[in-house]
Amino acid sequence: MSATLESLIEALRCLPGVGPKSAQRMAYHLLQHDREGAARLGFALDSAINRIQHCERCNTYTETSVCDRCQSDRRDTSVLCVVETPVDLNMVEQTQAYNGLYYVLMGRISPLDGFGPRNLRLEQLVARASDGLVKEVILATNFTNEGEATAHFVSELLKRQGLKVSRIARGVPVGGELEFVDSGTLAQALRERRRLES
Amino acid sequence: MRPVKVERQAAFVLHSRPYRETSLVVEAITRDYGRMALVAKGVRRPRSAMRGVLMGFQPLEITWSGKGDVVTLHNAEWQGGQPLLQGRALLCGYYLNELLINLLPREDAHEQLFEHYSTTLQTLSASETHDAAFFSAALRRFEKRLLGELGYGLMLAHDTSGQPIAADIRYLYEMESGPRIIADSSASAGTISGQTLLDMDAESFDNPVTLIESKQLMRSLMAFYLNGRQLHSRRLFEELADL
Ligand SMILES: [Zn+2]
Repeated sequence: MSATLESLIEALRCLPGVGPKSAQRMAYHLLQHDREGAARLGFALDSAINRIQHCERCNTYTETSVCDRCQSDRRDTSVLCVVETPVDLNMVEQTQAYNGLYYVLMGRISPLDGFGPRNLRLEQLVARASDGLVKEVILATNFTNEGEATAHFVSELLKRQGLKVSRIARGVPVGGELEFVDSGTLAQALRERRRLES
Repeated sequence: MRPVKVERQAAFVLHSRPYRETSLVVEAITRDYGRMALVAKGVRRPRSAMRGVLMGFQPLEITWSGKGDVVTLHNAEWQGGQPLLQGRALLCGYYLNELLINLLPREDAHEQLFEHYSTTLQTLSASETHDAAFFSAALRRFEKRLLGELGYGLMLAHDTSGQPIAADIRYLYEMESGPRIIADSSASAGTISGQTLLDMDAESFDNPVTLIESKQLMRSLMAFYLNGRQLHSRRLFEELADL
């Protein structure tokens, strides 16, 4: 096998879930059937690596040092929503129920994988949340054990800075008929029930 | 011999890691077959029915088949009744899991240990208002029973010369042998009071000194049996304390 081909296959293996077999298949596919696509991929990867950086304020991906959202004057600067990933940020944005700003952790604490707080840029989060404008930090990490561990650590960290911290609620989904809701969700919704105002 | 197919076995997920594109390798503790590894195929797909079920610290019933070291998980059902662990309780849960993963050999059935693990999780999950001492006591009880189940049971009622432990004497606990009386009875580092040994024997951790001394003893015992392996969850506790 040519050394160039070999290094392409090796390079493709950096993708998650791609082993030697599928890397080889991908390489042959690109060379055999889609050289144009391969060129585009190469170019796109190259420019992404060179241009995309982390926003100084919210830590998400951006091409400028501060992203458009963080620069916008139509955003409520008093609330900061902490999410695990840019995908989660997009999900919260899609609700159109939130007009505050964000901080993207770019990961989560996963103790048994050896992924701890030191692997997240938490100093940057503390600095961001202590800008004097933020009145409340909303933790919107996942409702998994890892998301919960992350929320716990981050809330302890921020509370020590004198910040007000809240956690998004969980419960039965909108339009969710009890008959079809999984029992774990229903159990948690019962525990976290709230009193109806009279 | 383990049967090729096992149905509705009581289990807890201890840890899982991604496997191939859409699957997981799940490390679990089961009631009758001990700790095992199972491949859960396709459960990382968004609409997988098992996706949200294979969560640590939740009582499950699982069905699998296969021989060998890694079997195939077919089904997992949530058994309910237990709130999700939160905050400090969650970190304690991770610690328990890490101990089991590191110390419990695979496919070594320990029904009592399984029950005790389950009870400890219940205690932790019901403990939102309890303080650090409450959690420490729960961990010490678990550690003691874990060591007992693994055949490393502690000697807490008698010293190395066979004499009953006296509350007002200090001892040096020697690994794999037991408490030895020391001539100098001042509370020097690494020594433990007879009272603490007796309290540990009775699993009574109300006394603050007992709590501190038993933590130190358990820490050195765990380090001994972990044989150089570091616990990530302990590091997280320390990082939290350093805030
Ligand atoms: Zn930004």
